[in-house]
Amino acid sequence: MAVEPQPDALSSEAAADYTLFSWRCSKCHSISRPLNSGIDSDEYWRLYVAKMRRQPGSGISAEDSVAILRFLHRYSIEQRRKKELRLGVSPPEPDASSPTGTP
Amino acid sequence: MRVRVLLWVVLASAVAALLSRRAANADEERTFAGSAQLDYHLVASEPAAVAAPGPGTTFEGFTLETAVKTAVDISEHLSANVKVCFGCHGFELDMAYFDFRVVDELNLRFGRFSPSFGAFNLRHDPANHMTSDKPLPYDMGRMLRKGDWNNGVLPSPFPTNGVEVNGTHWIGNVAQLDYAAYAVMGFKNDTDPNPTDFNFQESHLPYYLTSDPRPESGSRLALTVKTGGAADMTLGASGLFGTYDPENRLTYAIVGGDYTLRIQHTALRMEYLVRRQEFDTSNPDIFKYAIAPAGGDFFAKHGAYVEVEQPFTEALDVLGRIDGMYRVGNVSNVPVGSGNETPELSPMTYRSSVVRETLALAYSFERNFRLKGSVELWEFSYADADGRETELSFHLGAVGSF
Repeated sequence: MAVEPQPDALSSEAAADYTLFSWRCSKCHSISRPLNSGIDSDEYWRLYVAKMRRQPGSGISAEDSVAILRFLHRYSIEQRRKKELRLGVSPPEPDASSPTGTP
Repeated sequence: MRVRVLLWVVLASAVAALLSRRAANADEERTFAGSAQLDYHLVASEPAAVAAPGPGTTFEGFTLETAVKTAVDISEHLSANVKVCFGCHGFELDMAYFDFRVVDELNLRFGRFSPSFGAFNLRHDPANHMTSDKPLPYDMGRMLRKGDWNNGVLPSPFPTNGVEVNGTHWIGNVAQLDYAAYAVMGFKNDTDPNPTDFNFQESHLPYYLTSDPRPESGSRLALTVKTGGAADMTLGASGLFGTYDPENRLTYAIVGGDYTLRIQHTALRMEYLVRRQEFDTSNPDIFKYAIAPAGGDFFAKHGAYVEVEQPFTEALDVLGRIDGMYRVGNVSNVPVGSGNETPELSPMTYRSSVVRETLALAYSFERNFRLKGSVELWEFSYADADGRETELSFHLGAVGSF
């Protein structure tokens, strides 16, 4: 079975961000592309979401990209935490605040 | 030849230098992606002709499409994309281009790419659509009797070399206006002594120099409107014009319109395309019908599809589609690219049509791995060599992406 972030297990804001991400980012490709990309840098996500927003008919407005980046920021923290656990490194305290910079 | 080799060396050096520089400087600005689809096509009615050019040609059996792509963001304004795929044409350079973005509303693209036309081409990679095959107007080789029809109206993808200016403009947070205008090498038929249609195999060859100096030109305009937090719709129009023979005598024009409505994960898509294409009538013997004195030197091929895609669960998607094509005009008895100088009587008629109804399921076992299955009912307006007008076929495939 596909394992996606479960909106029920997230806070209401996080669930709303994930839902918007899944709507917008599955229009032209499956959401596995971003989720499995291995990218965990806020700055790179900022550039990448801006690039996707410019795709013809993307439907990703500036307003949407703020929520999408907020989701990707949280997702990246989780990915980094899992990676560090795999490597046996003590994970730092997660910072779930919004990423700096807006698209 | 020396110029061609030199250009290859310069291009390869530039790409290698670019990639090595990025590897040294900033790995996080490069993405690497790919996909592979293995599909088995079963035709219940057992087509007589398989895999060779000629009337009734139909693929039955396994097909493989695989591709890898690298995208490098060199700066906020400059990016490069290279995609190589392997399919029916062998290895193919699907894209190798640079984008120089001045602002969102003005981007210059140059290199090898599929020019902006229609809505489907953005999703042409098998990982990005739920069926194993493409809508008939964009079919490239999987349709039944493809030899009769010489594929779809505009087989996708259609990589070619050239330059495109494109851009997007958001009007507040509710509307997105996209445009594109381009001049590219376009479609060809340099090999047949009396060209009657594109030679798609030849058109995909990575030319650097061509005997046809006149580029194909085209444009696209599309408006996307968000009608709510979870819904948007896109209305687009595209057109292109060019010549396809070495003497620039034979013209073609393709125009199309598309509409997409998306509400959450449910999508309704429809497109219509028509190609008007002149053919060489200097050898009337190759045609099935007498050449009409007026308007007898062209055909028109119409194509359309309507599809609805609906997720049933997080893992299961269902798609229903009706698509078809309608061709009006004289019929060549010599299949494109067959090298056959002895005309065979084409089964197609002056007015021929095909309608297909598809029901497809796609099941994701893992986030990046999906099984695809579909059943297709085909209804042709003309009988094949065995007298059949209706055919049934099945696809079962698996696609993975990374």
